[in-house]
Amino acid sequence: MVELSRREWLIGAAALPVLAETARAAPADTLRFGLSSYPPSLQPWVNTGTAALTVKTLLHRGLLMFGTDGKVKGALASSWARDGKNGWTFKLRDAQFHNGQPVTAADVKWCLEQIMAPTSTAYLRGQFQAIASIEAPDAKTVRIIMKQPTVTLPLMLATPFAPIIAKGSLNAAGGIGAGPYTLTAQERGVSLSFAAFAKFYEPGHPKLRQIHMPVYADENARVAALQSGDVDMIEYVPWQAMAGIQKNPKLLLNTVDGPYMALAFNGGTGPFKDERLRQAVAHAIRREEIVAAAFFGRGTVLEGLPITKSSEFYDPKYAHGWNYDPKLAKQLMAAAGVPNGFDCTLLSTAQYGMHLATAQVVQQHLGAIGIKVKLDLPDWATRVAMGNRGQYEFCVQGQTADNNDPDGLSAYIDGTLPPDNARSYHLPTPEIHKLLVEGRAEFDPAKRRAIYDELQRVALKVVPLASLCWRAQGYAMTRNVHGFTNMPGGLNFYSGYSLENVYFA
Amino acid sequence: MLFVLKRIGVSVLLVWVVATIVFLAIRMVPGDPATILLSQGGVAPDPAAVAQLRIQLGLNQPLGMQYVADMHRLLVGDLGQSLQDQTPVAGEILRRLPRTLELIGAAAVLAVLLGLPAGLLAAIRRGGAFDRIASWLAAVALAVPIFVVGTLMVAIFAQGLHWAPAGGYVSFARHPLRHLELLAMPAATIAIGLAAILFRMTRAAVLDVSMRDYIRTARAKGVAPRRILARHVLRNALMPIVTVLALNLGSLLGGTVLVEYVFNWPGLSGLLVDAVNARDYPEVQGVVLVISVLFVALNLVVDLLYALLDPRVRHG
Repeated sequence: MVELSRREWLIGAAALPVLAETARAAPADTLRFGLSSYPPSLQPWVNTGTAALTVKTLLHRGLLMFGTDGKVKGALASSWARDGKNGWTFKLRDAQFHNGQPVTAADVKWCLEQIMAPTSTAYLRGQFQAIASIEAPDAKTVRIIMKQPTVTLPLMLATPFAPIIAKGSLNAAGGIGAGPYTLTAQERGVSLSFAAFAKFYEPGHPKLRQIHMPVYADENARVAALQSGDVDMIEYVPWQAMAGIQKNPKLLLNTVDGPYMALAFNGGTGPFKDERLRQAVAHAIRREEIVAAAFFGRGTVLEGLPITKSSEFYDPKYAHGWNYDPKLAKQLMAAAGVPNGFDCTLLSTAQYGMHLATAQVVQQHLGAIGIKVKLDLPDWATRVAMGNRGQYEFCVQGQTADNNDPDGLSAYIDGTLPPDNARSYHLPTPEIHKLLVEGRAEFDPAKRRAIYDELQRVALKVVPLASLCWRAQGYAMTRNVHGFTNMPGGLNFYSGYSLENVYFA
Repeated sequence: MLFVLKRIGVSVLLVWVVATIVFLAIRMVPGDPATILLSQGGVAPDPAAVAQLRIQLGLNQPLGMQYVADMHRLLVGDLGQSLQDQTPVAGEILRRLPRTLELIGAAAVLAVLLGLPAGLLAAIRRGGAFDRIASWLAAVALAVPIFVVGTLMVAIFAQGLHWAPAGGYVSFARHPLRHLELLAMPAATIAIGLAAILFRMTRAAVLDVSMRDYIRTARAKGVAPRRILARHVLRNALMPIVTVLALNLGSLLGGTVLVEYVFNWPGLSGLLVDAVNARDYPEVQGVVLVISVLFVALNLVVDLLYALLDPRVRHG
């Protein structure tokens, strides 16, 4: 038995924290990424949240994807082109699935047909009903024939909602993909581990050999894990922690304006059937205060449709159409026959601070012009159910477009679509629907631009939603993590695509 | 024998009542599991896809049919599958329950090691400096919410001093040292409050017993103070202490959620909260049922023990 002196005991005890920290350090070829939630499901075509999307961007690739510049680029397809009036042709590159089988046109055809099938629960199921047929003339060519000319098909295929898996491989755990990483281990609710796929089609990618993703559902725990060195990178940085991370010389904060906050209205019943009152609300809110109260100053005022500044369709002429103008709001109320205001209920949720704070600021500002707002703040699941049933007069929304094209806003502003908690309830928008259909079918950039200019003009009048602000969406990482791109606007939740570029330096 | 059979029958009935109440309660709360699952991230799912998922999950069936199917499954010991990823609920509970039990067990050991001797010492030196300081510390420990204690521990020991990981979980089999390292702070967080309760209870019970006649008699007979304390005072004082400890441990079974969140410890309470948020009906029912069965079983054992010890209970 080795006997230790008191001094040796003390030295040993003092060294324990150092040893513990050394044990926590990860190998230089493994990225430890703190996920915000455990993916409820890894079904390839079903939307099950942002964390699931991030994981799926590691496991899968579709025909196309979004590059770090936000533009559509080839993934499993090396090239693509318009084919006739209604068709698109995709040429496949030499890529392999994780089981070593080559990616063929038959796999692609099968996958896209699964997405559009009547029994499908895929996110793009509705949009894929615009497809007339899918052909595989040879092993490396796929032809997609649309029912109408559709310029936006590449945008749909570039999202992580249309990955290609090996034909027939769909099972409860997901399917066999062709992405840059393979899933090596998972523990439900705890973590997922990935290893680089050696036969990934992009030479030199992915750059790291392994990614380990422990789940930190609590935002403070996630930040603490980064600050204490348990992980190298985290997603969904809470706004209140951003300043602290920026001050930390070892850490880097990467934010962009991604999702946005807005108000949706019940157009079937209550005061907001009248578009003048929707306009009045849109003009009555001082949005800077929402950015300050809900997002600790980390966001940008949004006074028009949520189209990012980087979009070719952004037009400053329409970007401030719902500027803060309480005088105008009062005039609109007078014109609508309620000069002294009215009582109404705003649906939000107390479960998420940003929804609650947004509702409180809206309540204050509408109170200032005579609209007495009562807040209805159930838990999130109840809020969603009430939104679907139209059990509200107006409600707070936090959402993100499908992409940065104005067509990516269709699900949120097209009132001809079936009722959904994500858009205004029973608020008919025939003009907006017509313009969206026209824009989707128009291949001439100048004519598309004119269509979407008109769309913005009409939207400012109809107010299918009243935008409030962009919210900064943040990733934080240690300073030796390089190569990650936080994509702006509607592409933000697809930022996981760039994890194949990440390396340590 | 009749008494035992009667008690078992009542326990089975209780479990059925709980299962029925949970089945109805979670479905009476607004929120559709299919919509919640497909609209994550604030997106608008295709209503046809939501309808299709409802069919796949059996949520389109009339409530009565769902109830009969659920009860039939329960009878054969099947807790069903998660609506989110079709994972068997029983398997997930079997993974999570030991983690929560381990957390509670570790906290109990720490609390007993801290609270019991401190309470005893405070009672012996009643009114002294140690008693006053320890009583004040116990009051503070009871007054500060558990998530504040946890957050402070993370801020000091993980973020500030880098002595411990901020949170997480690794199984003991995979990495024993790391597992204990991750267990230490959440267990200590629960233990602080529990130790304060035990401290107060021990102090009060020891003081109470010390004033009893038989202690005075023992002193008068000249029994050594140490022997009086160990054999007569502590043994008699332990009964209420153990009762309080058991009651608190029981309530911790479903009540460690805040600690589990702060330290990212994937236990049973966190699973229940996540399942409620996702309206994952089978998972909610499974977790509540397992916790209830544990409580009912504990009560049954206690009742049977009472009956064994006291014939009056057996004969009504």
